[in-house]
Amino acid sequence: MFATKKKNRALREAGWGRTLVAGFIGLIYFSPVLWIVMTAFKTRQDALATPPKLFFEPTLDNFVRVFYRVTTDGDQLSTGMGLYFFNSIFIAGAGVLLAVVIGTLAAYGFSRYPLRGNDTYLFVILTTRMLPPIVVIVPIFLMFRVTGLSGGYIGIILLYAMFNLAFSVWMMKSFFDELSADVEDAARLDGANDLAVFFKICLPQLKAGLAATVVFALILTWNEFLFALLLTGSDTRTVPVAMARAMGGQLGVDWGLLAAIITLFLVPVFAVTYMLQNHLLRGVTFGTVKK
Amino acid sequence: MSSLKVTNLVKHFGDVRAVDGLSIDVQNGEFFALLGPSASGKTTSFRTICGIETPTSGTIELDGKDMTDAAMRDRDVAMVFQTFALYPHMTIRENLAYPLRQMKLASSEINSRIDETAELLRLSHTLDRKPGTASGGEQQRIAIGRALIRRPHLLLLDEPLTNLDAKLRHDTRAEFKRIHRERKITIVYATPDELEALTMGNRIGVLRDGRIVQTGTPDELYERPDNRYVAGMVGSPQMNLIPAKRGGTENRPTVVTDFGEFHEAPWNSPLADFAIGEELLFGIRPHEIVPKNGAATTAGPTIDCHVHLIEPIGDLVILDLVANGTRLKMVLPEEQAIAYSPGSSLTCGFDLATTHVFAKETGTVIRQPLPEKQKA
Repeated sequence: MFATKKKNRALREAGWGRTLVAGFIGLIYFSPVLWIVMTAFKTRQDALATPPKLFFEPTLDNFVRVFYRVTTDGDQLSTGMGLYFFNSIFIAGAGVLLAVVIGTLAAYGFSRYPLRGNDTYLFVILTTRMLPPIVVIVPIFLMFRVTGLSGGYIGIILLYAMFNLAFSVWMMKSFFDELSADVEDAARLDGANDLAVFFKICLPQLKAGLAATVVFALILTWNEFLFALLLTGSDTRTVPVAMARAMGGQLGVDWGLLAAIITLFLVPVFAVTYMLQNHLLRGVTFGTVKK
Repeated sequence: MSSLKVTNLVKHFGDVRAVDGLSIDVQNGEFFALLGPSASGKTTSFRTICGIETPTSGTIELDGKDMTDAAMRDRDVAMVFQTFALYPHMTIRENLAYPLRQMKLASSEINSRIDETAELLRLSHTLDRKPGTASGGEQQRIAIGRALIRRPHLLLLDEPLTNLDAKLRHDTRAEFKRIHRERKITIVYATPDELEALTMGNRIGVLRDGRIVQTGTPDELYERPDNRYVAGMVGSPQMNLIPAKRGGTENRPTVVTDFGEFHEAPWNSPLADFAIGEELLFGIRPHEIVPKNGAATTAGPTIDCHVHLIEPIGDLVILDLVANGTRLKMVLPEEQAIAYSPGSSLTCGFDLATTHVFAKETGTVIRQPLPEKQKA
């Protein structure tokens, strides 16, 4: 129904002049990303050339070096980056999934079965996001040491889930608040029990909201560096941490290698956002337009 | 046999008394209209009857069985919400099927009922679309279909026409009557619109502040309102309620208005119970006031007045009159009204037997015209 509406709306397209100006401004904002992506395809000489080369012969060498390094004996050795990519995907995925599942259930509770002092609890949940995470890093580090969660998957997944929980509770609650309570009552009257009302009536209406929550939480988690640095071990290291380690070297910063890691690192977030973009737009503007 | 019997139903939300002693008795197969302005407790009454809300006190009997505390699914009551409350993520077919799936019916049975209901409500062409793409009238019919498809014992309709435009309202009104006739189902219909209530209800309960002030057939409510509230609510344009006082002597009471003193009317004897000078309301329907040309017709009192405003409504015209400072309305056929324009003077008259008198303080009726059959 949205597609047809879009087509019917006869908005006048901007002329070439405006389009070019907008494109130019967009290019300025996009240029750092473009720079990195281009550098990923450059040889070491091209990457360091002054003035910078806009046209060059692309090479995939950097991408190979992300995963394999050649020893002085001529052997190919894994750099472990494949594992780190898996770690990033697994840890961020599990953390976000956990946060969104718990957050959605909690949000439904807050929205439909308010407690005495409901707003106070919601505020308390929000306060967990009010201070910069670095403030609590020492106590959390100690907690992880004492409980033995440090270095393993479970610890860092739980931590990310906790960080995203406040966000997903608030976001999902606002979506649930927008749903018509009459629709839920109608379903109960039609014979649905509470579980059916939640899973068959409420959730399917909130696909867009869920998508938006997942994408925002995923971006935050995917890029997280500080806690990953302190709380992951050599087997559970995520890409941002590995990236920092790859920066140093006897020959200075290996820009080509770094750019290749970053380029690969951008792909999953880009792909997820692209897949969910239709939902995302509806999720962000949900309830702002009268239906 | 009574299909729905509500006795002394009370529902409070904190300090708000949404329903405050509601009692109705709806017979099997009846079309019962619940007439009341917004916030008079219609929706809360319905929500309590179908079990969404738990009553504070009172009892609800369905088909002779006490169902006050029964689970929603055991009540066999369907409701059409004012907002329609369709499932936006399901197709129209799935919307209709939902209550049947909850009943765990065989899919062949579900399909045949969907076809039947879609045909009854002329929805066959829309079944595979989402409700969001349907027009207002179609959405309304889907909501009714979803309620009817269960073949419920009792159907509650909560202001079902409020969200439709004027033409659709008219068509849908006829639709409801047709469905009621064809399905022989008991319907309780809540509406703030007296015209809807009068045209559709076998009987009407007038609701005010969470309780029924009068129940009766449309004719009874129109001709013999029990109090000034019902008198003002039923009938369009509404009854003229003119400030008056009890006058005359102890044994020979009269009603005194700004434009005349009336005596020798049927309301004389009950009026004797009121103190001289007590404030009253003198009620007369706009349709009962007629112009009097010349002195030929002498029966009944006359009023000298002038025309203040003219409101044409199709082939009828409402004349806003001022008689000695008192405003009153009169309804005339177009061809008679053409003789008058704002400012013109006229003399009109009425039959005292058609008038009503209410106590101003309590609003209760002191005298009402006799029922049609007793007049004869």
